[in-house]
Amino acid sequence: MTTREKAIAELVNFFKEENSVELLATSVSDEKKSSNKIFRKYKIKDIVFLAIITACTLVTGAIMPLLTSVPLFGIIQLGLGIQFSLFPVIGMMKVRKPFALVLQSIFISIFLVFMFPPMLLLIACAIVIEILVLLIFRGYKNDWACVFAGTLYMPMTIPLLYMYYNLFYTVSGNEKSAVSMFIGANNVGLIIGMTLAVMLVCFIGSVIGLIVAKELKKAGKLK
Amino acid sequence: MSFLQYKKNLNPIVALISTLIIMVFGLVMSTKTECSYFLIGTTLWLVLFGCYKQLYKLLIVFILFGGFFAIIAYFTMGRNLSAAISMLNRFGTVFLAIVPSTSIQAVAMTRNLSQIKVPRYITLGMLITMSFIPVLKVEIKRVREAMKTRGAGSLLNPKIFYRAFLIPLVTRIVDISDTLSLSVETRGFTSGKSKYTIYKKETINILDIMYLLGFVVSIVLMVVL
Repeated sequence: MTTREKAIAELVNFFKEENSVELLATSVSDEKKSSNKIFRKYKIKDIVFLAIITACTLVTGAIMPLLTSVPLFGIIQLGLGIQFSLFPVIGMMKVRKPFALVLQSIFISIFLVFMFPPMLLLIACAIVIEILVLLIFRGYKNDWACVFAGTLYMPMTIPLLYMYYNLFYTVSGNEKSAVSMFIGANNVGLIIGMTLAVMLVCFIGSVIGLIVAKELKKAGKLK
Repeated sequence: MSFLQYKKNLNPIVALISTLIIMVFGLVMSTKTECSYFLIGTTLWLVLFGCYKQLYKLLIVFILFGGFFAIIAYFTMGRNLSAAISMLNRFGTVFLAIVPSTSIQAVAMTRNLSQIKVPRYITLGMLITMSFIPVLKVEIKRVREAMKTRGAGSLLNPKIFYRAFLIPLVTRIVDISDTLSLSVETRGFTSGKSKYTIYKKETINILDIMYLLGFVVSIVLMVVL
């Protein structure tokens, strides 16, 4: 190779490097811009992770069909509190995008509808929580936003289920008889106590989820 | 005898509707004696359409749990037999409603939902969730085997549960998720609004209609009689 050819090759390499640096800079700035946005587009890997974490929630929540038939007010929420806060929090810690909880709820509801149709109300609960998180924390960037969402997710179903039982039995003509079938459903003190117990269980589950997610992040698994 | 093979070809949406019918009517009427007749009729109908294996498996669980809670209801409600029957009806309804859903194949359900233009995010997520449950069971078994090999101790100990079970399981799940997302992208699944073809479409046939009609007739009989 002559000196002239060498010089040309060096120049070409120099331009290539410069271009790649520019491209890298623009891609980094694009990523920064997109990370500053509240609403970001979902990628395939986000959907896959949320679906898998939902499967974990479902497998650990397999006691659901048995709990639905126990006539104690709030027993479903109490029995599923840990699982339904721990795994969704891990999901939200990895996919820090709005509607992560709604997507998980949709995947969960598709299965739980076979066991207990009112569990479709989980989607409504998730929408309410997402709105609250967006208003208070402006997304899931803050770790405590995930804990907040995980803590409120299951307790939110209690008033909705109460409403469901009232409406459900109005159709058959026996107004409010479904709620009265539940032990303690007419006792305000017991309802408040049960709701607080569910919230406590869900908070513990959410904090465990946060700790697990932080440990995984430390190990470089949760990017 | 084509009826007895029918379960395999059950349309996913029809299965979902039948589940909802059993659940809603069973729970609404659980306090009435007619509900028991409805559940017996439903059981026979499901046997006729090939769901006898699932019914047999769930029957054992139903007898155990349903019987246990029926006895509790009988004594807590002051030796009230109708309370016990009501409890049995509730358990029977829940277990029978699960039976049609066990016949649904993940792929068929996804195809069916894609046909009715359900967003790709949801169908893909559903497919993965449904397919992942058996994989997760295997992973749980592996983690537990690893625990035994290391002599980690009982799962009831919270420290052992967290360090030796939960963390390895979640780590493995994250690894699987990364590999699976790459695999899914390689197979041409996109998150955008790109067009796709469904090669095998799910259609509703005469047996599906007959299957649903059976439930409708039994509900009408239950209400009228």
